[in-house]
Amino acid sequence: MAKALRRSRIKIWCDVIFALLVRHVGSKFDDKFGMAWAVIEPLLFILMLSFLRGRMGGEESHGMPVFVFIMFGMLMLRAFTDVLSDAASALRKNKSLFAFRQVQPISSVIASAIFNVIIDIFVFSLILLFMYLMKIEFQISDMLTILLLYAQLIMMGISFGLLFGIASTFVRELDKIRSLITRPLMFISCVFFSLQDIPEELWPYFTWNPLLHCIELSRQAAYPNFGAVGVDYSYVSIITICVLFLALACYRLTWKEVLSR
Amino acid sequence: MIYLDNVSKWYSTKKGEQHIFSSITFEIPTDHNIALLGSNGAGKSTLFRMLAGSEYPNKGQIKTDATISWPVALSTGIHPKMTGRENTRFIARVNGVQDLEEYEGRVQNFAELGRKYDLPVQSYSSGMRSRLAFSCCMGIDFDLYLIDEALSVGDKKFKRKAKRALLDKSRTANILMVSHEIDEIRLFCDSAIVIDNGELTFYNDLEEAIMVYEGE
Repeated sequence: MAKALRRSRIKIWCDVIFALLVRHVGSKFDDKFGMAWAVIEPLLFILMLSFLRGRMGGEESHGMPVFVFIMFGMLMLRAFTDVLSDAASALRKNKSLFAFRQVQPISSVIASAIFNVIIDIFVFSLILLFMYLMKIEFQISDMLTILLLYAQLIMMGISFGLLFGIASTFVRELDKIRSLITRPLMFISCVFFSLQDIPEELWPYFTWNPLLHCIELSRQAAYPNFGAVGVDYSYVSIITICVLFLALACYRLTWKEVLSR
Repeated sequence: MIYLDNVSKWYSTKKGEQHIFSSITFEIPTDHNIALLGSNGAGKSTLFRMLAGSEYPNKGQIKTDATISWPVALSTGIHPKMTGRENTRFIARVNGVQDLEEYEGRVQNFAELGRKYDLPVQSYSSGMRSRLAFSCCMGIDFDLYLIDEALSVGDKKFKRKAKRALLDKSRTANILMVSHEIDEIRLFCDSAIVIDNGELTFYNDLEEAIMVYEGE
């Protein structure tokens, strides 16, 4: 007979997250495109946008090729919104799995985030390969800063997603509001334009958005002569720590309630 | 032993808080096969889900050293878009089964799904789904199995097989069972817990419990 092992807590967590991850992959890509679509779709999207933008504003944008400029904006934006929406829906979607005592609501959130990170890595590598083949000149002078920005972006996405997920188990309508809120992010986060292109007196309406800071700073990190202004690395970190704390605190207070709803 | 230590459970509904249990302290012995008796809405399923760790009490806690199965009710944790095999593997991973392949094979044999085992569960009939869920649970060794009307599904042949498997289990491990079929309860259980008005009472003698339950 299969003996159920007595495992340490950390081992149970790892096993459960791995199982959820495998399940996530299996259920998300069951059509013919399969996993490839997750990678091809953003690539096509960036291509289309940089083509349009290139038409409008020439081949260069603040010393960066337009493609690279838009790539940073799009990848960061997508990473954030995808992780956010997946984390938010993970609580409801995996509800039937919480019948297993080993599966805690937050493990499904973590699994969905890990899944998104894996996809992002694939997308990024593929785009680098694409740029290499298309002979688009690019440089990345400070990869470490970009990775740190990305990591904080993911943490923010998980935290906001978790907050929305918890809130929407109590008030279902919040799910609709979430998609309403995340849609305009594309236009207010400097995906197509730089903050430098916006008149300075309008900055206060934009710079509250940590996503904008992440995008501009990542461009700056790749091209030191980009000259990002009005953005601040420590602002990103402070926001990340605050929402992460808030999300974990809310989770800790409500997870039992989330289970019985 | 399973200790219920000052357990309270309520659900908040539109009509205010609905109390199922308030401050119950109780010991459920794990050396009996126990039937859980009570009228509809008495809190059988809630107690079940709390024992399984699918839900938690609002106050107090449940302590035990025994390994307890998940509630083998309908098709808990079975994903309709994944195949029977993938579902089996998921359950095995979550529960920490060591030998995945061997467990997979055993579930396949027991559930008698044939080729359908490698097709998505959404193409199964409801009977086949519960056969899969039941087989997955029976394939793992627990100290206590929580059986929630699980025997009421499947065709005659499978029912007989399930009964036999469960009888074997009731000798080596223990069973906690919810059923409205008194015959079934007599077959598997030797004692009972009656839930009435949020109070639990343990009866060592099953017949006595049935008398109390039916006399209500």
